[in-house]
Amino acid sequence: MSAVLRAQDLHTYYGKSHILHGVSIEVAEGELVTLLGRNGAGKTTTLRSLVGLTPARQGRVELFGHDTTHWPAHKISRLGVGYVPEGRKIFSNLTVLENLSVPVSRPGRWTIERIFELFPNLGERRSSWGRQLSGGEQEMLAIARALLINPKLLLLDEPSQGLAPLLVREVFRTISSMRKEGISILLVEQNARFGLDVADRVYVMNDGEVVHSGCARELAQDEEQVRAFAGAESRAAVG
Amino acid sequence: MELVLFDGFNGLIQGAFYALMALGLSLIISLNSVINFAHGGFMVVGAYLAFALAPYLGFWGALIAGPVLTGILGILVERFLVRYLYARPDPVYSLLLTFGLALIIEDSVRSVWGAGGVPFAIPSWLDSPVSETYFFITGYRVFVMSAITLAAGALFAFLRLSRFGVRIRAGILDLETVAALGVNVYLLRAVNFAIGIALAGFAGVLAAGVLQLSPTMGNDVIMATFVAIVVGGIGSLFGSVLGGLLIGLAAGVTSAYYPVASDVVIYVIMAIVLIVRPRGLLGQEGLFE
Ligand SMILES: Nc1ncnc2c1ncn2[C@@H]1O[C@H](COP(=O)(O)OP(=O)(O)OP(=O)(O)O)[C@@H](O)[C@H]1O
Ligand SMILES: [Mg+2]
Repeated sequence: MSAVLRAQDLHTYYGKSHILHGVSIEVAEGELVTLLGRNGAGKTTTLRSLVGLTPARQGRVELFGHDTTHWPAHKISRLGVGYVPEGRKIFSNLTVLENLSVPVSRPGRWTIERIFELFPNLGERRSSWGRQLSGGEQEMLAIARALLINPKLLLLDEPSQGLAPLLVREVFRTISSMRKEGISILLVEQNARFGLDVADRVYVMNDGEVVHSGCARELAQDEEQVRAFAGAESRAAVG
Repeated sequence: MELVLFDGFNGLIQGAFYALMALGLSLIISLNSVINFAHGGFMVVGAYLAFALAPYLGFWGALIAGPVLTGILGILVERFLVRYLYARPDPVYSLLLTFGLALIIEDSVRSVWGAGGVPFAIPSWLDSPVSETYFFITGYRVFVMSAITLAAGALFAFLRLSRFGVRIRAGILDLETVAALGVNVYLLRAVNFAIGIALAGFAGVLAAGVLQLSPTMGNDVIMATFVAIVVGGIGSLFGSVLGGLLIGLAAGVTSAYYPVASDVVIYVIMAIVLIVRPRGLLGQEGLFE
C-alpha cells in the first residue's frame, strides 16, 4: 500500500516556542490511524502543520506524492484533504446551508443532498444559524463540511470532545463508514477506547514527539501502557 | 420648522455618505484586519476620477467608471502594500502604512488637479428642486439617497446570496477554517478590499455632485466614518449603516439649533453609546443576525 500522507521530522513553532520536535507520521491508503496523547502533547499542532495552517519550519510533508510542506492551506485542501478542526469551528454567523456552501468541492460523490441523507438533522435545520445548533449537530456539520471537499484523506481533531456517550458512538459510526468508502483517516482522540477500537495503527505523542507507534489492537490490550501514554482520561474509558 | 427639516435632510444625506463609507471600511477592518486611514483618500480619488472622466464619458459613465477604477487601484494597493500587513497583527503597522497612503493620495491629487476646489457638473434635470416649498430637496439629492440605498442593498444581497459573499462572511469570523476548506483566502481578501475601496470611490463620485471637490474632502469624512462604525458596533454591517445615518442626522439637526456643537455632537454620541453599550448598537451580534 502506498502512503497518502508522509510527514518526516516536523519541527513546528508558535512564534519562538518550539512545539514539535521531529514528528514523523505516515498514513497508508485506506488506513485509519489514531493519534493519542495527553493535553498539550502537540496533536493539534501536528494536524495544523499537515494542513498548512502552521507550516513546519523544518522537515517535510508529502501528500499524495506532492511536497506540500510550504503550500498554502487552500491548495492542500484542494488535493483532497478534509479537515475537521478542534472545537468544530463551524461558522456561527452563517446558516447550516451557508456553512455547507463555504467548502470548495472537488468533483465526487458528496453533494449537499447526500449530506442531508446521511445527517437528516442538518437537513431539517438547514436554515438555522450555526450558533443555534447543539454540540452534536455542530460536530456533524463540521464533518459534513469537510466531506463536501470530497476528501481522499480526512483529518479529524477530537471529534468526540464534549459529546454525550450516545453521540460519541454516532460520531464513530460515521467515521467508520467514511473509512469503508475508502477515505484514509487520521484521527486525533483523547478517548483511547474509541480511538483504538476503530484504528488500524496508532501513534502516541508526548511533549511534541512521537513516543510510540504500532498496531492499535496490540496497544488496546495493554491497559497499563495505554494509561501511561494517554493520561488520565483514558483510565475511565479503558477500565 | 423649515430650518429643522432643511438641516435634518442635509444630515440624512451626510449620514448616507457616512454609512456608505462605513460599510466599505467595516468590510476591510473585519476581513483584511487593516484599519484603513486612507479610506477617505480613496473617496477623493473616486471623486476626482469622475471629474476627470465626465467630459469624455458623461455623468453616467463617470458614475460607473469612477468606482470601478478606484476599486482597481484598491486591488493594486492590496496586492503590493496591504498584503504585507497580514503577517503583522500589530495595528501600528497598518496605521503607519494607511496613514502614509492617505498623505500620498492627498498630495498626488493636489499635484494633479491643484489645491483649490473644482466644480463637478451634474445633469441639469437632476439639479432642480423637486418642490418649491422644500427647495432643498433637489432631484440630485433624492438621486444620491436612492443610489446609496441601492449600493448598500446590492452589497447585502451579494454577501447573503452569492457563494463568494458567504465566504467573505465566514472569513470575517474564522479565516483559517475558510482556508482549510479550500478557499483561496488571498483572493478573498483582495476582492473584499477592492469592494470596500470601490464603495468609497462611489461615495466620492456622488459627493462630487453635492460638495465642492477638494483634495482634503476625505479628511472630514474619515473621522465621522470611524465614529459611525464604533457607534454601530465593529463587525456589524447593519450597525455601520445605522451608525452612519444616526450621526449624520444628529449633526444636521444640531446645526439647526446649536450650530457650534454640530461637529462635536457625533463624538458625544459615540461617548454615550460606548458608556451605555460598549460594543456599539449592534455590536454583539455578528453579521446579519
Ligand atoms: N497559538 C499558540 N501559541 C503558543 N503556544 C501554543 C499555541 N497553541 C498551542 N500551543 C502550545 O503548544 C503545545 C501543544 O499544543 P497542542 O494544541 O498541539 O496540543 P494537543 O495535543 O492538541 O492538546 P489537547 O489535547 O489539549 O488539544 C502546548 O504546550 C500549547 O500550550
Ligand atoms: Mg488539541
